[in-house]
Amino acid sequence: MKSSPIARLLILATAIFSVLGFALSPAQAEDSEYALRIQVKDQGRTADGKTDNQPVPGVEITVTDSTGSVVETGVTDAEGIVIISVPTRADYTVSLNEATLPSGEQLDAKTPAIQNVLTDSFVTKTKVVTYFTGDSQNVSQSGFERVAQRFSDGIRLGLILAMCSVGLSLIFGTTGLTNFAHGEMVTFGGIMAFVFNVTGLTFLGFLSFIPGIQDDGTFHIFWAAPLGIILGGGFGWALNKGIFGPLRRRGIGLVTQMVLTVGLSIALRNFFLSRFEGRTRPFADFSLQRAWDFGPVSITPRDFIMSILCLAILIVTALGLRFTRLGKATRAVSDNPDLASATGIDSEKVIRLVWILGGCLAAAGGIFRGLDEQVSFDMGGRLLFLLFAGITLGGLGSAFGALVGGFVIGILVEVSSLVVPTELKTAPALVILILVLLLRPEGILGRAQRVG
Amino acid sequence: MDWNLIFENSLKGFIGINAVYFAIAALGLNVQFGYTGLLNFGQAGFMACGAYGLGMTAHYFDISFWWGIPIGILFSVVLGLLMGIPTLRLRADYLAIVTIATAEIIRLVVRSVKFKTYFGGSDGINGFSGSFRKLGNDFGIQESDKYGFWPFKFTGREFWVLIVGWLLVAIFGFVVYKLMKSPWGRVLKAIREDEDAVKSLGKNVYSYKMQSLILGGVIGTVSGMIFALDRGSVQPDNYSRDLTFYILTALVLGGVAKVSGSIVGSMMFWGLFTFMDNFLRQVAKDPVSIGNFTIMKSTQVGQLNFILIGITLILLMVFRPQGVFGNRKEMAFDGR
Amino acid sequence: MDAERTYGETAAQAREALQSVDRVPGSRKPNPILTADNIRREFGGIVAVDVEHFEVQKGSITALIGPNGAGKTTFFNLLTGFDQPNSGQWNFNGKSMDGVASHRTAALGMVRTFQLTKSLTKLSVIENMRLGATDQKGEKWWNGLFAGLWKGQEAEITERADQLLTRFKMDHMRDEYAGSLSGGQRKLLEMARALMTNPTLVMLDEPMAGVNPALKQSLNQHIRGLRDDGMTVLFVEHDMDMVHDISDWVIVMAEGRIIAEGTPDDISSNTAVIDAYLGTRQGQSLLEGE
Repeated sequence: MKSSPIARLLILATAIFSVLGFALSPAQAEDSEYALRIQVKDQGRTADGKTDNQPVPGVEITVTDSTGSVVETGVTDAEGIVIISVPTRADYTVSLNEATLPSGEQLDAKTPAIQNVLTDSFVTKTKVVTYFTGDSQNVSQSGFERVAQRFSDGIRLGLILAMCSVGLSLIFGTTGLTNFAHGEMVTFGGIMAFVFNVTGLTFLGFLSFIPGIQDDGTFHIFWAAPLGIILGGGFGWALNKGIFGPLRRRGIGLVTQMVLTVGLSIALRNFFLSRFEGRTRPFADFSLQRAWDFGPVSITPRDFIMSILCLAILIVTALGLRFTRLGKATRAVSDNPDLASATGIDSEKVIRLVWILGGCLAAAGGIFRGLDEQVSFDMGGRLLFLLFAGITLGGLGSAFGALVGGFVIGILVEVSSLVVPTELKTAPALVILILVLLLRPEGILGRAQRVG
Repeated sequence: MDWNLIFENSLKGFIGINAVYFAIAALGLNVQFGYTGLLNFGQAGFMACGAYGLGMTAHYFDISFWWGIPIGILFSVVLGLLMGIPTLRLRADYLAIVTIATAEIIRLVVRSVKFKTYFGGSDGINGFSGSFRKLGNDFGIQESDKYGFWPFKFTGREFWVLIVGWLLVAIFGFVVYKLMKSPWGRVLKAIREDEDAVKSLGKNVYSYKMQSLILGGVIGTVSGMIFALDRGSVQPDNYSRDLTFYILTALVLGGVAKVSGSIVGSMMFWGLFTFMDNFLRQVAKDPVSIGNFTIMKSTQVGQLNFILIGITLILLMVFRPQGVFGNRKEMAFDGR
Repeated sequence: MDAERTYGETAAQAREALQSVDRVPGSRKPNPILTADNIRREFGGIVAVDVEHFEVQKGSITALIGPNGAGKTTFFNLLTGFDQPNSGQWNFNGKSMDGVASHRTAALGMVRTFQLTKSLTKLSVIENMRLGATDQKGEKWWNGLFAGLWKGQEAEITERADQLLTRFKMDHMRDEYAGSLSGGQRKLLEMARALMTNPTLVMLDEPMAGVNPALKQSLNQHIRGLRDDGMTVLFVEHDMDMVHDISDWVIVMAEGRIIAEGTPDDISSNTAVIDAYLGTRQGQSLLEGE
């Protein structure tokens, strides 16, 4: 029996949306139409010599409207956030009571105590106002220490990018499709793990006899992460099964499919936004840890374990692609689809595998990213262009190229923040992207294409 | 449910300023994507060129507002070269990747603290549109008066932008139409289908692609100018990746490779969007629930609308890639 | 069998001139329009093309044959600037073509077609033809807006296009989308479109592939017609009947090298060629063609 593509599409959409919707619905926000979300973060280096934007709780914030009358006064919570509802889109003034800052903390010069919010800056219903305390440049660190620290941060970002890139590159290699929704596959993993880890699935509370699972259905991250990765693989499988497989069979062109992934990206990202909301949220475990010091570099146990796990996953992936039959078939299809099908490789089977593997790795990348930073609805979307830069650098379509390219881009981005402002640290990736295309468009590990 | 209000707003959305700046931007994107097959996913970057060209006259250069027009166009030509030189000799995907990345970096640069002196940081730029509004007054349009008839009632300020905006839509619609009927347009359409064939006939494909990218970008720049003039401000976060994607949706909705497609598509996009937004807002005044499960709260209406845009784009690509009114025979952004 | 055939002046000259040419790979021709030296192209260590010397006699119809994978199409791509060799020199009409971009070669009078036809399916037949004309004023974007500047030239181009369509017996399909044509008709259209550039050398990549037998005969006529109009034709072909039928000179490639040259009759009895083809279906037809 053959179901029509629209039916598949609807089934797929309903399935995903209901799972996520159900899981995330308890997350309640203020019901007011408009709100100001004020967050106070400490960007100064703690004793570990690391900036991780720790929240600053207990700071008093006052919002006044354009006539000068006070709308509301609030105090930041444990996450350093206070949300103040405002009656409508209008100009407001946000002021921070500096006397309530923890002793020794000072506001960064970039974010003065009084900030103005203009009517037009309400892009969505909630306008975020951020204050930073401390100084991002810690003078006590030597140049070498700073380089070493950035490098170590860069390795973590690089490992995550490498992990996310493999699927993107292999999907391109085997089907020719540039998937602009790949960032959402990354976010999907992060949010799924968050659902298990923080939101909890109450109907799974009966599993609480297993260590690491609570009565309220929340799972320790060691459970939540693999579950998120498995669901990510399932998501990849479903996208191929429900959308891209049928489109390939109908002979729908690649550009059409590419524009479709744009639509998919819009729909998914806004779906995540509507259910997860605009906040960035940490996983329940490991959000605060004391760092270990290794000479110039300090790293928290979490980051250390994370890096080891990342590396392990990547090595397993690389070995799998190198030595297993399916892995070899995958690379064969990616190198030359026509030749591969002529030698009797079932390319559809390979493509299915690539989507599942890509989904798993993207989800894993999202979870590690969520541990490294926090989980948010567009965490993957913001990585997308770094992923593209990575796979272009490595050679479009090459799995090993993606690993190397993603890794290099990650290090480059972090290390470059020594010379460029942090807010622009992704810009060097664009420079690399353009240089690669000018000098060696096939990438460092790609092969020149035969023309004609 | 106040149907009167819903319809009034929707009809206004249909011809309102959002439809205008979308229509102009979509015309530009159509030159690139629809006619030449260039995947420009950074139209928002070109729009930012126009908006910041205007804004910087007041914020940084401190010169007459009118200089903003050539400055914005100059920015977009430079941007077109930057995006085109590395990519236009390569397969189509690379342009998409580089444009999406460049537009994103532009947004980060203009909102950065580092370059606040030039671009005004994340607050953007205000107070540059005085001369433009004054010109409206000189034409006898009073900002505070109401113009038009039900349901198309606008304040003088809106009305003046609308007049100029629709005039520009007409001008650029005509220009694009004429160009695409010319031998130049014929070369672009041929490139869209098979650039090797065009090369073999002695045409410099690279140069034509560059011309198309820049022309489409300059038209996008004009759209950014109208957008900025309507708001009276330039906000960096308005020029995000999503802006390009929504314009692409509007273009595909109306039908690619047709001048009318860009214009009708943008009108439909905003008519429908405004309708859905108003309608859902009324539905969701109280949270809609089944049992304990909240389906939709008023705070989620905006996102639901954008989800619908995404789904619309997906369904269009699966079932009607030629757009609602398009002709499949003529339409081909996929050479198949 | 050639008795009743008539030749144009240049064609007869070409035939006669070629009579005295050595039947060895890379032989010199009295009046070459295209010469190439030491052209080498590798793909990841595999040598696709390695041609020591190559000449095409002006005004002749020269066939380039060889088994699959012999490097014929790659050689075509190299000569026309669609691909760059690792090393080598080649001249067209005495002008060095090394580093000349593909679109420039066409402007210089060296036009090619493709193995897989590239008719622009969403353009009408006549628009396909018009596109072929070179030096169009209206192809400058700043002129595009002012129809007055190019309308006159467009009318001339259209007239020439219509004449060519009539000659190729495609005038009845003038306003249809090229996508609605059959495979053979697309081949014809592509050839006619190439002629719109007023070439001196026409390079056809497998003009007979996918063409039905009825159309093959008229395609043969058209190719001969090109020579009679003073053009030089170089074509890649597998169809040995056709090669035997219309070519003045045959060059055989195998494994990237030129292994034999000669008149069609020489070639069909050349043992090296038969060896190269042996075991292939084309080898069968080569032997049968004898």
